Amino acid sequence: MSNAQIEIQLIASLVAIACAIPGTFLVLRKMAMISDAISHSILPGIVVGFFITQDLNSPLLILLAALTGVITVVLVERIQKTGLVKEDTAIGLVFPALFSIGVIMIAKNANDVHLDVDAVLLGELAFAPFDRLFISGTDVGPKSLWIIGSILVITVGLLIAFFKELKVSTFDAGLAASLGFSPALIHYGLMTVSSVTTVGAFDAVGAILVVALMIAPAASAYLLTTDLKKMLGLAIVFGVLSAISGYWFAHWLDASIAGSITTMLGVLFLLVYLFAPSKGLIAVMYREKQQRIEVSLLTFLLHLKNHNEETERHVNHLNEHINWQKVRSKTVLDLALKNNMIVIDNKIVSLTEKGDEFTSQAIDYIITNEDAQIEDMKDDFFLFRG
Amino acid sequence: MDLQEYFSLVFSDYTLRTITLGTAILGAVTGMLGSFAVLRKQSLLGDAISHAALPGIAIAFLITGAKDSNTLLLGALVSGLLGTFWIRGIITKTHLKSDTALGLILSLFFGFGMLLLTFIQKQPNANQAGLDKYLFGQAATLVESDVWLMAIVTGLCLFVLLLFWKEFKILLFDKDYAKTLGFNTKTIDILITSFIVLAIVLGLQTVGVVLMSAMLLAPAAAARQWTNSLSKMVFLAAVFGAFSGVFGTAISSSQNNLSTGPVIVLVASVFVIFSFIFSPSRGLLFRQIRFIANRRDLEQQKTLAFMYHIAETHDNISHPHTIKILNNFQGFTRKTLQKLVDKEYVVLDGTMWSLTQKGFDKASNLYNQQAKEDE
Repeated sequence: MSNAQIEIQLIASLVAIACAIPGTFLVLRKMAMISDAISHSILPGIVVGFFITQDLNSPLLILLAALTGVITVVLVERIQKTGLVKEDTAIGLVFPALFSIGVIMIAKNANDVHLDVDAVLLGELAFAPFDRLFISGTDVGPKSLWIIGSILVITVGLLIAFFKELKVSTFDAGLAASLGFSPALIHYGLMTVSSVTTVGAFDAVGAILVVALMIAPAASAYLLTTDLKKMLGLAIVFGVLSAISGYWFAHWLDASIAGSITTMLGVLFLLVYLFAPSKGLIAVMYREKQQRIEVSLLTFLLHLKNHNEETERHVNHLNEHINWQKVRSKTVLDLALKNNMIVIDNKIVSLTEKGDEFTSQAIDYIITNEDAQIEDMKDDFFLFRG
Repeated sequence: MDLQEYFSLVFSDYTLRTITLGTAILGAVTGMLGSFAVLRKQSLLGDAISHAALPGIAIAFLITGAKDSNTLLLGALVSGLLGTFWIRGIITKTHLKSDTALGLILSLFFGFGMLLLTFIQKQPNANQAGLDKYLFGQAATLVESDVWLMAIVTGLCLFVLLLFWKEFKILLFDKDYAKTLGFNTKTIDILITSFIVLAIVLGLQTVGVVLMSAMLLAPAAAARQWTNSLSKMVFLAAVFGAFSGVFGTAISSSQNNLSTGPVIVLVASVFVIFSFIFSPSRGLLFRQIRFIANRRDLEQQKTLAFMYHIAETHDNISHPHTIKILNNFQGFTRKTLQKLVDKEYVVLDGTMWSLTQKGFDKASNLYNQQAKEDE
């Protein structure tokens, strides 16, 4: 690995960490789309900042652009407060307008601005190591490494200092307000950090892909845990993992690094989405299927309990009575047998003592409808799910 | 070329006519379908879909190796639909909220699309140039067949809209009721979403991936301010959309270095701002005027009530009092007093005022009457 390669991976990883931290809170606060809006609407801020400073890496430009991000948030809230349109429409109206202004500003001044729209969308991570920072003549590393590094240090500092406040206001805004934390302050603080991070990361991965780095690791982590600290940790790990694997994938494919990092994030999310232990798609579908069978079993047992006549309880008549397909009736019948709920005597099905007790409790449950009871019941009767 | 020249050329120049017609039709169809997106609170779905369409374009090009816009749009359609259904899957099957799902699909698909685009650019295929026009759109590349395609889709869209108008409307405003009436809400839902995806994909070539969502939202949000009726809103949104398209094209072609997409979006935004401020029933300006008028009315009534309570203590209700005793009363100005005089509730005599019989009656019934009006 050459020096430049290590530096690129280092920058990408730092960007991923810096994005994952505010991203986690945005996802939890249901404000993920705000990051999309910010990432688009900082464009005019960057262009204006560039006219003033003539340097894409100047701190003033980052501040100006971040200010545009905060203005976007304020504007969205103002429009929403008029009650004329809903919040999502407000977001959808504000950022394309600001982005259009940015694109037109770039196009009108194309000759004197070294800024093209492709770079805005994609970033130029591959060139980052060549723009170096010199302090009194000595080379101390790439500029963007220092920028994203300082943003990360500030973010982590703020996170540690205000972790408790952030946590409370994210999960219970009312409690936070009554405890005396200003929800507005925390909200705008988070928005400012997100804007600054977006601008800082913009140089490396481009305006739109910042959104991926903010949302995807946090969303993947959210499917795996419900503990805030673990979620932050997982999001950071996912971000760094995708950043490094994405770099090598891009290296192999000879394509955009930012695009490849996002693709890695996408693959990662897809895997988590499918295979997450309790919240993944497969786990959810399996649980739904199990619940369907459990409900069928209950219906079946209730039917048995309601009918004493032997004709109603004959094996061959069951599917026409409860209106089930053959396979399903067979599954339910087998399940009930395995659980010792029923006995089949001479093709006549009847409830055992256990089945009878179970059914009575189930009726109680259905009447009172208290959620906790059914779980206890399953334990009491050791329901074998087949 | 200035604007005047543009309008004289529209009818004679082939390219200009094609582009103008194309953007107008596009604006109309997106405005029409956008109304549904806005009312269904799916405003940002358009943003997500348009971004999600990018990998479809790239893959269609990789497979066919040709830059035929119809094939590419087909790819975009497939990938847009895939994105839409994945969003739906994430929202219904996991505990992630809709904003996270939208942001995820938007950024992940777009990133993958960008990866493919940069990959294509490195390929030794001379044909690949110009795929990135789908990022910001280039109205100048529209040809007559594209416009025909747009017109056909718009016609189809209009037909389906009219055919299923009742179903769409009931789904929009009361989904549960629609379900109890026996409508297959899932199918209607998929139908309308598919048409929204179709409209977005059509616009990619003209406005581009990044700004397409504004084309969907802005005309609808503007139209919403002027009416409370769905049919009028859809019609108005189509008109606003078409005008944004025409004006946007006119402005961008009258200047150098102005891409059409952003200009159309800005024109549509101007429509929105104008509607927000000047709409008679919902607009901010008239709302403020009504607010001030109401407050003034209330202050006048308060003054009258105050006078009434003073006059009550005297046998003669028209017993004159000095204006000075009103000075401490909040909301009293010489102007409001004059207004009361104009209404013949009060008579002024130098520095003294006295209540007239009419004013006294009015004041004694002030709160009763209001109660009556409220009923």
